[in-house]
Amino acid sequence: MNPLSNPVFRQLVARAVRTDYLHNLTGFAWLIVQPLLLLAVYAFVFTTIFKARAPAGEALGFVPFLAVAFWPWTAFSESVLRAAGAVSANAALIGKVAFPSELLPLSTVAATFLMHMVGYLAVLVVLQLLGTPLYWPGLLAALPLLALLCLFACALSLFASALQVFVRDVGQILPPLMTFWFFTTPILYSADALPPGLAAAMRYNPMAWYAGRLRDFLLHRDFSLGPADLVVPLLTLVLFGLALAFFRRFSAHFEDFL
Amino acid sequence: MTSGPPEAPQQPSGQASRELLVRVDGVSKLYPRVHHPGERLRAFAALLAGREPVEGARVLNGVSLEVFRGESVGIIGENGAGKSTLLKVLTGVISPSRGSVEVNARVAALLELGAGFQPDFSGIDNVRMKAALLGMSARQLESRLDEILDFADIGDYVHEPVKHYSSGMVVRLGFAVVAASDPQLLITDEVLAVGDESFQKKCIRWIENFLERGNTLLMVSHSMYLVQKLCQRALWLHQGAPRQIGGVFPVTQAYLAWHEEKNAAERRHRSAVQGEGGLYRVAAFRLPGHGPGHGPATDGQAADADLTIPAGSDLDAELILHSPDGRAPVALLGVIRADGTPVYGVASDFDGVAAERVDEQHFRFRIRFERLPLLPGSYSLRGHAMDPEGLRLCDTAEIRFSVCGDSRELGMVRLPHRWS
Repeated sequence: MNPLSNPVFRQLVARAVRTDYLHNLTGFAWLIVQPLLLLAVYAFVFTTIFKARAPAGEALGFVPFLAVAFWPWTAFSESVLRAAGAVSANAALIGKVAFPSELLPLSTVAATFLMHMVGYLAVLVVLQLLGTPLYWPGLLAALPLLALLCLFACALSLFASALQVFVRDVGQILPPLMTFWFFTTPILYSADALPPGLAAAMRYNPMAWYAGRLRDFLLHRDFSLGPADLVVPLLTLVLFGLALAFFRRFSAHFEDFL
Repeated sequence: MTSGPPEAPQQPSGQASRELLVRVDGVSKLYPRVHHPGERLRAFAALLAGREPVEGARVLNGVSLEVFRGESVGIIGENGAGKSTLLKVLTGVISPSRGSVEVNARVAALLELGAGFQPDFSGIDNVRMKAALLGMSARQLESRLDEILDFADIGDYVHEPVKHYSSGMVVRLGFAVVAASDPQLLITDEVLAVGDESFQKKCIRWIENFLERGNTLLMVSHSMYLVQKLCQRALWLHQGAPRQIGGVFPVTQAYLAWHEEKNAAERRHRSAVQGEGGLYRVAAFRLPGHGPGHGPATDGQAADADLTIPAGSDLDAELILHSPDGRAPVALLGVIRADGTPVYGVASDFDGVAAERVDEQHFRFRIRFERLPLLPGSYSLRGHAMDPEGLRLCDTAEIRFSVCGDSRELGMVRLPHRWS
């Protein structure tokens, strides 16, 4: 079953987009303005207050360095956090209508990702207009990467949303975990700046690979391939398969626990 | 009367052409107890280990049911009998703890009021979602949207959020989408009761039409009238287990009789202390010619209700009274419904009937109720011994019987009538 052609999935995505992002008239404008305001805040904080310098060899400055990896991270993290509660939030639906309930977390991820990608594009365009020479052809390589990142978010969301039905504490544990993950991923800093021990540990953080490759494609024009470029995508696919199996194994019992 | 006679549903065609749409095989459902975090964890651990939860509420217990294409089956039972849970298992909303369920049809279910409706969205948005949940594509919906809005008939309210709707409007909209989804098997819970009179009629007309086209219906209802009108067969669930399954008339009548007896038992319990010991007693009370095994029940206890009398046949009763002083007592005979409602009573002295003396102390009365006009249901015939003055009731005997028949007339007694 392909969820993209499923009418229930489409309805759920449309619904999520409308309630979460387009609930007022200016919603669509905010969708673009908000990321840009955020970009301005980060630019001010990190270039004026913290005097953060771009890592060595980063010719384009700190703000592009941050922005290119930060928006995909936000899309990822917010998708997972929102989708984790998607099943419990729709308890009324699950108890009354028979439908594949994996569509609930999946549609939440899809809607959140979609909206953040609009913001990401706006940020990239503004960066370009402000004089950052982005490597636009790199977007062709970045798109499948972002799709893969979305799939990664789907996998974690399936795990988290199913687990949260049975163990409600998941909803409390997840936000600090995501914050920890954010700071242990080279988004605000470069992996090269880490002590050698920690830099080696980064190899086990898939998000470090996603952030690094996005910068490579959009800023550094670096398209060289390493073993990680095979391992992480494969890992993401396997994880997604496992998550879907996990979710379906337990979805039949949701109603008992909701 | 725990199990009724296995009644074959009337099928227009031969057995071979019967297509099994629903097979429920030994289904049990245990809701694990999950109120406290500890209980949740234990229930989840049991789930992970693939065991049945240790503790919980057993809502269904060993229910089996087969439904063939073109049949209509009513599910009846008191509150909490597991009817709605059975429907949920059938639609796949919940999975059974034990047993299996197979459904081979395009199903549309109307389980609860506004099932799947989200209150913050407008009616039309909810129609879109509900249609998608019922498997309609966007294009199919567009072509049927007018039909749906027409059926629901709630005017411009479709653009209002559903939270501003009355419950009747929610049902109207819900049923309209279900009707438009062209199901083969319709599963409804007690939702039609919410709509107003005219909408209920509209729905019933639609369901009748739906059944005429050879489709299948499974419905839960507390309205025996509706069940008898729409269903061929009925399943009576009692405390999660099937109590009786068969033709709609015997099952619904047995169910109603059970309710009446339950109410009467409560009342009897209250009045049990008033038992009066009199001089004149019932020596024997029987219904001659209505089958064996209905011996005297002279101590005021009801005999087993194994007597079935076809509606409209004659009912004969014989009452022998014992009179210690040799004076002829008065006999009082009464028919009451199983819930204790008096239907008819007559005493021998009303009609100026003299007793037939059997011996020094025994007097016999015989009575025949010709072409018994009682409607199908459970009744009792009571024979009373009264003093010779007909003033004091001294003793009571009771024989239970049921009247059988396929009549859908309402009430207790068939009044002679003619349409003109």
